[in-house]
Amino acid sequence: MIKITDLVKTYKTGDIELTALKGVSLHIKPGEYVSIMGPSGCGKSTMMNVLGCLDKMSSGQYLLNGKDISRLSDNELADIRNKEIGFVFQSFNLLPRMTILENVELPMVYAGVPHKERRAKALEALSKVELSDRIHHKPNEISGGQKQRVAIARAIVNRPSVILADEPTGNLDSKVTEEILRIIQELNDEGTTILMVTHEHDVAQHSKRIIRMKDGNILDDSPVENRTIL
Amino acid sequence: MNIFENIKMALDSIRSNKMRSFLTMLGIIIGISSVIAIVSLGQGGQNSITSEFEKIGAATVKITVNTSKAEWSDWITFDDVERIKEKINNVKYASMSLTMDGVLRTGKKSLDAYFIGGTEDMVKIEGLTLLDGRFFNRYEYQSGKAVAVIDENSAKRLFGTKDVVGRTLEAGPHDSMRKVTVVGLIKSPYEMFADMIPEDQFPVIAYIPATYLVNLYSEQKAVYQIYIMADSKDNAKTAGELTVRFLENRHGNRDREVYRAETVMQQMDQINQVMSIFTTFVAAVAAISLLVGGVGVMNIMLVSVTERTREIGIRKAIGAKTRNIMFQFLTESVIISCLGGTIGLILGLAGAYGLGQLAGITPAVSPQTVIVAILFSTMVGVFFGIYPARKAAKLDPIEALRYE
Ligand SMILES: Nc1ncnc2c1ncn2[C@@H]1O[C@H](COP(=O)(O)OP(=O)(O)OP(=O)(O)O)[C@@H](O)[C@H]1O
Ligand SMILES: [Mg+2]
Repeated sequence: MIKITDLVKTYKTGDIELTALKGVSLHIKPGEYVSIMGPSGCGKSTMMNVLGCLDKMSSGQYLLNGKDISRLSDNELADIRNKEIGFVFQSFNLLPRMTILENVELPMVYAGVPHKERRAKALEALSKVELSDRIHHKPNEISGGQKQRVAIARAIVNRPSVILADEPTGNLDSKVTEEILRIIQELNDEGTTILMVTHEHDVAQHSKRIIRMKDGNILDDSPVENRTIL
Repeated sequence: MNIFENIKMALDSIRSNKMRSFLTMLGIIIGISSVIAIVSLGQGGQNSITSEFEKIGAATVKITVNTSKAEWSDWITFDDVERIKEKINNVKYASMSLTMDGVLRTGKKSLDAYFIGGTEDMVKIEGLTLLDGRFFNRYEYQSGKAVAVIDENSAKRLFGTKDVVGRTLEAGPHDSMRKVTVVGLIKSPYEMFADMIPEDQFPVIAYIPATYLVNLYSEQKAVYQIYIMADSKDNAKTAGELTVRFLENRHGNRDREVYRAETVMQQMDQINQVMSIFTTFVAAVAAISLLVGGVGVMNIMLVSVTERTREIGIRKAIGAKTRNIMFQFLTESVIISCLGGTIGLILGLAGAYGLGQLAGITPAVSPQTVIVAILFSTMVGVFFGIYPARKAAKLDPIEALRYE
């Protein structure tokens, strides 16, 4: 599913070079539920962005579902982001001028799904995240937990094989965190591969495997014992 | 991703920034409306000139003496005019058109006036409309009788009535005026200007036999300009050429080329040409404001791209391709320009009819004008929208997402 080898990512700011990922190798199989942990600045987000085809790596190899990502054009990458990956951000990243429903429909607009089918699928995704009312409201009219549920609905609406979530519960309180984690777990139960960055041990405990990073390297990679199941 | 999605998104964005969108459109609105107004008024003006000339007579030819080359002996004599009519088959009417400044006086009033001297054919050549009485006749012309034909406007101002046939007034230069009998009343030739000039400021005119007019002013019986009228529109040019040849023979000056024939239609073509150059020039100046409007569109689109960097990042993160973003912003700028163009078109037409009403011109709106206006504003939108749209489309997704 996801296979990275010797992944290096170097940021250049003027004359200063900063290597955020220093040769990371990682293999994730279909259906896995992985947490990535580590101190601030260790490169978690950088890795997620590269895995999510949002950012380009400096060197190394990245195979996603057997495709060599480093050889793809910008438009092919856009297609992968659209169909094979669902991204969930800490700050939700919903479009403020669109309604909830329109936000969820948007990935299908870019996928070229006809209008009627789009509406049906968006409603289906929204019901999956248990948000069927308020769908004609704008994002600023709903709560943070609801926003993240909308974001998840948007991420799953094109049925991607993998969901990348960068601190999805980072802005939410513990009760709402639990709701979000339950939705994520359900998705995983249905077969979707999950990669989730988190700072909280309790949150990571919901996953099946924890990867610990430090200074742009993987420090530790082990299965979760006594996993919390909601 | 189809065009309707794009249009819907663009309209949403324009709606959410109504005031700004309107101000952006303003440049386009002003540009298109002024071009439309100018072009339709110019075209309308040309049309009314054309129809005016056709009324006067497409068969009319002006014969002029080149006064800078001519000697006194080359001038066209009253006798020449008679002979032209007699000898040249195609010439149906001929008259000099001699204008003198003077005064007309009745018991009641004294007004500055123009006297126009001609033959009895003048009524045909100038296309005058008789309301009462008659025009002076051949006998009165040949014997130089003291008769006059005045227009209704002058009649009312001089006599206070239109019932003037048979009455007398004094005419001539103010220091030697003589009694003249009014034999006819014509429609005012200045009526078409009634919207522009108050009627009591129309020139006061009187048509008088040229033979009497030269007598009144102690002038010679020779002029540098006459009008002839051919028997048909098609013969106008031939008649003019024959007249020139005839005059050259009579005056023995063929080698010096002092006479020139110009049909009324040729004159009209010239005027129309000048008009259309003028219209084009003014329209071009107005079109510059369209360019300025276009720069305004570009400016706002650039601001919009910067403002919406994060939105662009989000769209790209969920799968928008470069061309999707490009078309989104391009659609927006084209819609703004097109909307501006349409509003401009409506205002321009309204302005053309409004101003036309004041100036007494019926604006001529051709479908081409409308199509060109819309097409042009679309092109402005594309041209000035392409750079901001490309800028948006080329944004790096991750940097755009980080933008605060
Ligand atoms: N666009 C960038 N330009 C330059 N340096 C960057 C950029 N993005 C990240 N970095 C640097 O790369 C390193 C890794 O950053 P990254 O965002 O991946 O950390 P993180 O593990 O996600 O941290 P956090 O837990 O705080 O989110 C940091 O030192 C950061 O300063
Ligand atoms: Mg991070």
